[in-house]
Amino acid sequence: MNTLVSRFTSSSSTELKALDSRDPDYGENEASDITWGSLGGFGNLGLNGIPSFNIPTVPDPTAFLRLHTDDAADSSCRIKIQHGTTTLAFRFQGGVIVAVDSRATAGSYIASGTVKKVIEINPHLLGTMAGGAADCQFWETYLGSQCRIYELRNRERISVAAASKYLSNLVYSYKGMGLSMGTMICGWDKTGPAIFYVDSDGTRLKGDVFSVGSGSTFAYGVLDQGYRWDLTDEEAQELGRRSIYAAGHRDAFSGNTCNLYHVKEDGWKFIGNYDITKLHYEGSQGAAYGYDQRTQ
Amino acid sequence: MARRYDSRTTIFSPEGRLYQIEYAMEAISHAGTVLGILAKDGVVLAAEKKVTGKLLDLSGAKEGGYGGSGEKIFLLNSNVIAGVAGITADANSLINYARTAAQRHLFSYNEDIPVEQLAQRLCDLKQGYTQFGDPSGNYSGWKATCIGANNGTAQSLLKQEYKDDITVEDAIGLAIRVMSKTMDSTTLGSEKLEFAVLTLDKKNEQPRPKIFKPAEIDALLAKHGLGKKDEDTEMRTA
Amino acid sequence: MECQFGLSGNGYVLLAASTTAVRSIVKMKHDQDNIKVLGPQLIMSYSGEPGDTIQFAEYIERNIRLYQIRNFHALRPSSAASWLRRQLADSLRSRNPYAVNILLGGYDNATSKPHLYWMDYLGTLTNQPYAAQGYGSYFVLSLLDRYHNPEASLEEGLETLRRCIDEVEKRLVVSQGKYIVKVVDKDGVRVIEL
Repeated sequence: MNTLVSRFTSSSSTELKALDSRDPDYGENEASDITWGSLGGFGNLGLNGIPSFNIPTVPDPTAFLRLHTDDAADSSCRIKIQHGTTTLAFRFQGGVIVAVDSRATAGSYIASGTVKKVIEINPHLLGTMAGGAADCQFWETYLGSQCRIYELRNRERISVAAASKYLSNLVYSYKGMGLSMGTMICGWDKTGPAIFYVDSDGTRLKGDVFSVGSGSTFAYGVLDQGYRWDLTDEEAQELGRRSIYAAGHRDAFSGNTCNLYHVKEDGWKFIGNYDITKLHYEGSQGAAYGYDQRTQ
Repeated sequence: MARRYDSRTTIFSPEGRLYQIEYAMEAISHAGTVLGILAKDGVVLAAEKKVTGKLLDLSGAKEGGYGGSGEKIFLLNSNVIAGVAGITADANSLINYARTAAQRHLFSYNEDIPVEQLAQRLCDLKQGYTQFGDPSGNYSGWKATCIGANNGTAQSLLKQEYKDDITVEDAIGLAIRVMSKTMDSTTLGSEKLEFAVLTLDKKNEQPRPKIFKPAEIDALLAKHGLGKKDEDTEMRTA
Repeated sequence: MECQFGLSGNGYVLLAASTTAVRSIVKMKHDQDNIKVLGPQLIMSYSGEPGDTIQFAEYIERNIRLYQIRNFHALRPSSAASWLRRQLADSLRSRNPYAVNILLGGYDNATSKPHLYWMDYLGTLTNQPYAAQGYGSYFVLSLLDRYHNPEASLEEGLETLRRCIDEVEKRLVVSQGKYIVKVVDKDGVRVIEL
């Protein structure tokens, strides 16, 4: 059992004491209740002598922790939630739109604001990056060489389905060993535009609309509502941008800039890099995205 | 010419023949006859035993076990019986392999192995040794056939007398008649014969294999007028 | 959160599986088909650990197909179930066990009878007139104890299946969305629109 799980499941008094915020050795602002969310106005209970566990407010906290940790991979056991990212891709009449943010975080620290989260596998395939940056970068580049070898052997381009299946089989063979990736493999093949979601659990899903990362829920909120199959190219690009902006605005771990790509029959094209703060105040085509700015 | 090409089972002669395999088939045609007949309600196997003699201990066949002397006819699984002709040691090894294969199927699928699949398992093994020829991994289903000594005579007899709607009862008679004509010895008896039938048990709808015990074979022969006693009485009257 | 139910009736087996693919709190997909057609008269629904499910299901699918190609006949439901169980049981004690739960439905032409098998990732195999897996089973099993009829016609069976889906929709805290429903009988396998 990893230390994190045992810390939260132990009922011994010493463990309890260690978690008690009155303990002078216990830093006031470190890993307090905020880690797991607000106590909803009951934060004072712990200070009034009633013992309380510092645990996630779910019916089965151990199962919850096990779900979000990976003790087989790493005994020090980092939490494996998709940290700090928003990526999205969707299929429409005019091809595939791929949009991502560019923030990299290490805890509460913004390590970089200019990360390239779209990996250009080859002129017809794009991969997005969420989870472990190194894992995504390495394996998607590796996927690129395998796709090239496929091309040389078979005298035709690999399909998006085959490329994504190759990646999913590959990461599945490393299951339980600590890989962390959530990616969308996007491209155009004989079947037309295609997107596959592939993650390090070994899940592989074909679909029209996907978003991955800590900001994905915020992106979905805008994306799902604005999505139609017959979007024009301009509308689709605007939708991708707006969705990433939405996540960059609401999710603390996403932001800085938005990178936008458009995949068509003849391969992908980089549309642009957009400063999210600028989108907030000015928008991309005159109309500002920000709520106050929009409703002024 | 052949001499250079007959040393191994995997070397073809310039005429495209595998001599070792032909030699093996020749060896089999000197072995004790085994014949099988498919009837509409069962299967009959009969086999000629070559190893005989006063000193042979046959007490095992008389009492327990599945019947038979364990020389020619074997129970491979609860739904399969087999007759063998050829090198006894090779046959024993194959039988052991077949029984294991049948158990393996039962382990995986919780059902008796289909007969053809068991034949396939055996032939896959044989093919591995030889690569081509007749005892080489080929197999086929038959309504009636024969292997071993005089198999040509036996097969033409079977061809003449076989009918598509033959019953097990008639097939038993046919098998005994053919055996009596093809075997070298003038007298038929349990010391020279092995016999088995496979039918469907009416009660539980399961295959019911029966390998005859020596006494049962003698009784069967007597019933079909081919037993030793008849001959003895004939001789006495003559 | 995935749900799957199965029930047998007069000459058929019905399997139903929810079509949503979930990751954390997000529904990633709404039209996932978690019922594989393993043969002319054999279907299997599956759920469990993401990744394991599809890998295991495809492994089973291909090997059952291989058996059919090699032997010119499909496995009977009881044999297929035994083999499937063996795969799960062997996997359980391997270095990388599959965590997949299964319902297997088939029609045996030799006996003209439908068969439904319930299997869990530990390799437990049982033959049942009706079965369920996932959170839905907490509601549906009692319902089927009450309403299942082994002699029900297909129409009546579908009616019972609708009851199951409605009950889960009504009481389970997370909505399951649409279900995919497949039937196997003497005529083969068909998808049924509820």
